[in-house]
Amino acid sequence: MKADAALRVVIAGARAGVEPGGIARRAGGPEKLLAASAERLQRLGVPDSLSRELRLARRADVGAYRAQLAESATVCATAADAVYPAAFRELHDPPLAVFVRGALVDAPLPAARAAVAIVGARRPSDAGLRIARRLGAFAAGAGVTVVSGMALGIDAAAHGGALDAGGPTIAVLGCGTDIAYPRRHRGLYDRILECGLAISEYPPGTAPAPWRFPARNRLIAALAATLVVVEARARSGALITADHALDLGRDVVAVPGAAGSAGAAGTNGLIKAGAGLVEDETDLAVWLGIDVPAAHPPPADADACAVLDRLSCSPAFPDEVGGPAGPGRVAALLSRLEVDGWVARDASGRYTLARAWTPTASPPSTATAR
Amino acid sequence: MVARALTLWLTGITARRVDVEAHVADGLASFVVVGLADRAVQEARQRVRSGMTSAEFRFPIKRLTVNLAPAQERKEGSGFDLAIALALLAASGQAPRERVARVAAAAELGLDGGLRPVRGALAMAEAAGRLGADALVVAPGSATEAAMAGTVPVIAARSLRHVVDILADRDEPDPIPDAPPAVPSALADLADVRGQPRARRALEIAAAGGHNLLMTGPPGSGKTMLARRLTGILPPPTPSEALEITRIHSAAGLLAPGTRIDGRPFRAPHHSASAAALVGGARLRPGEVTLAHRGVLFLDELPEFNRAALEALRMPIEDGEVLVSRVAGSVRMPARCMVVAAMNPCPCGLAGDPDRECTCPPQRLHAYRSRVSGPLLDRLDLRVEAPRADAHAAPGEATASVAERVALARRRLADDPPQVSDDARSLLDRAVEGMLLSGRGADRARRVAATIAALEGAETATADHMAEALSFRGAG
Repeated sequence: MKADAALRVVIAGARAGVEPGGIARRAGGPEKLLAASAERLQRLGVPDSLSRELRLARRADVGAYRAQLAESATVCATAADAVYPAAFRELHDPPLAVFVRGALVDAPLPAARAAVAIVGARRPSDAGLRIARRLGAFAAGAGVTVVSGMALGIDAAAHGGALDAGGPTIAVLGCGTDIAYPRRHRGLYDRILECGLAISEYPPGTAPAPWRFPARNRLIAALAATLVVVEARARSGALITADHALDLGRDVVAVPGAAGSAGAAGTNGLIKAGAGLVEDETDLAVWLGIDVPAAHPPPADADACAVLDRLSCSPAFPDEVGGPAGPGRVAALLSRLEVDGWVARDASGRYTLARAWTPTASPPSTATAR
Repeated sequence: MVARALTLWLTGITARRVDVEAHVADGLASFVVVGLADRAVQEARQRVRSGMTSAEFRFPIKRLTVNLAPAQERKEGSGFDLAIALALLAASGQAPRERVARVAAAAELGLDGGLRPVRGALAMAEAAGRLGADALVVAPGSATEAAMAGTVPVIAARSLRHVVDILADRDEPDPIPDAPPAVPSALADLADVRGQPRARRALEIAAAGGHNLLMTGPPGSGKTMLARRLTGILPPPTPSEALEITRIHSAAGLLAPGTRIDGRPFRAPHHSASAAALVGGARLRPGEVTLAHRGVLFLDELPEFNRAALEALRMPIEDGEVLVSRVAGSVRMPARCMVVAAMNPCPCGLAGDPDRECTCPPQRLHAYRSRVSGPLLDRLDLRVEAPRADAHAAPGEATASVAERVALARRRLADDPPQVSDDARSLLDRAVEGMLLSGRGADRARRVAATIAALEGAETATADHMAEALSFRGAG
């Protein structure tokens, strides 16, 4: 059977520590690779370790393996299966099989146009984290599936935002779907499995390895019609994802950073090259073709507006917001704005704008701030 | 012949009764001390023998047995020397037996027969009064301290010979000088701290409500300067509180002879301190949390503290007292202090600095911040960020005027604490719904809001007070 053959090759590849996809394509498909003689394998340039595993895999009990997968609530789909994600067929190097685990395992995968991929730096700024979370929450809240890679930083924030909004989210992993990596994201991984999916082209038990992450980026790019890059340095992994997305004809948009900022060199470069610019939920809504979020009425209090004006220049500690009111009054204003969702606090304790704000008057001179 | 003397034994910060019985019998010459005495007490034999001979008493060449009752409890220290010597002298007919049996004695003997002070004289004098002793005999160095108790006549004696002469009415005790009156100590003033209006505000609220405070900021932002000035804006201790503070320091051996303490203590243990050093218990002595009783315990570099040590602090902070159990017994000590903690925003101290970049890898930053999470953090009501100080900021308000507001607010909180208004409550509910804070955090915010209202002299804590309280819940 075709599906079994693909699975046998994937298992053999995992055992030998070799990616079997390219070899299988050169051999003319997994079935032909399995049936190939020793001489043919040698002509194909198959490493000895893989040849040995392929010989063993011919006799492997695939039924028992599938049963084992079912026990851990994991579904395996090979290119021959109907449940194999259609989006992956568009890739020039589609995975031989994908392993899927999580609450939505029995539901059909969303069509690419009902999904958005959000990726970015592993060590982002607080502002980057916040916008990733906001965009993730907004998309998921509108029923759009949020796809990302569960890496540190932007990826995790995008998943987190989607989960907070109670929406669907898909994590594409560079290791087996049974492994929570990075380990710090154990909790996030559990939440994703509870209300979303983890997808990987590697069989369960495969340990994370540096070359597997760039490879999984092509799957992230394939799954969604729109890719949002939030903060990326030059030559970052997120730019690899953007390249894949462009190859597949997906929309690529980026969140801009400050001019000259090294942390945003990659995203600013994308915009220079013609990528769409996304600054907030409204911008993203246009790209996703969903309803633009309703504008929030500005706060009634004039002092509160002045505080927002000040924060539109740069994030600030309450002391730096200053103004004519005493420290107690400023703190109270900031807390009310925070409860109303206008401002948020970053890890250092500074207050920053949490939604777009158009300054009411001319911005206050920064002389009062430091 | 059997004779008795009374002495006292310090456990924690209270003194307990120890009866010294001396038996002089015929037989081979020997000198044995029984009653679970430790090494320092065993060594008393050498000091007592030399001290008695130097004071020109006869050391009986007989079979001498000394028992320290209650015999089943482990005892340690050198404070039993004088009572052992007196009991032996009484048993050998060289001192008036009846009087020796009715006075308590607590002093260490020198080889020349002189008396040396022991720690905890104040607690011992209080215990001697409770036990109905006629007087407490101490070395002149302990006399001022013992006399502060005011519950028992104190006899200050220079030497063993002097003690016996006083008991036999042949001599007068030394006069006891009063503790020097409160010297207005040169406390650092809040006016020295430039800028930091918000951290100063947090300090004032903490002082008014007795809240525990966490300050986060880069090195050099003035966290330590602010913390050191907290004792100054707290109201001065009442006479009975001052006595408590003095008793604790006396028991810890930290009181300079002949002095008393009438300010609030400020204790700043180093972050390498062990759990025993923080909560007490090493040889049943008070720990930092007890030494800070009625004052301030400052934990600088909070994440650097040993986790077990911080964990041990949790109960004392919650209950206002420590219960320490050791082989030598268990003791209860007061620990009603304010905790002020300080930490850097990250291990390198640069996180959030607008001008320089923090170089901490994310894993390290995560580990650093997670080290302070948990039970102790829950007990820090007020959390404030102290950004890098602005060297050109104007000097702040002076201690005296802040202290005045604090004293006023404390009275209001004690007499008629402000109630939380409905507006304030609904604001708090919205903050909880918006996941800005947990249920426990809401509890803290309520308390802080009441304090802010009291500082302002308001009868109820309004939504504005609550909003400001919410801003002190900490970053992240």
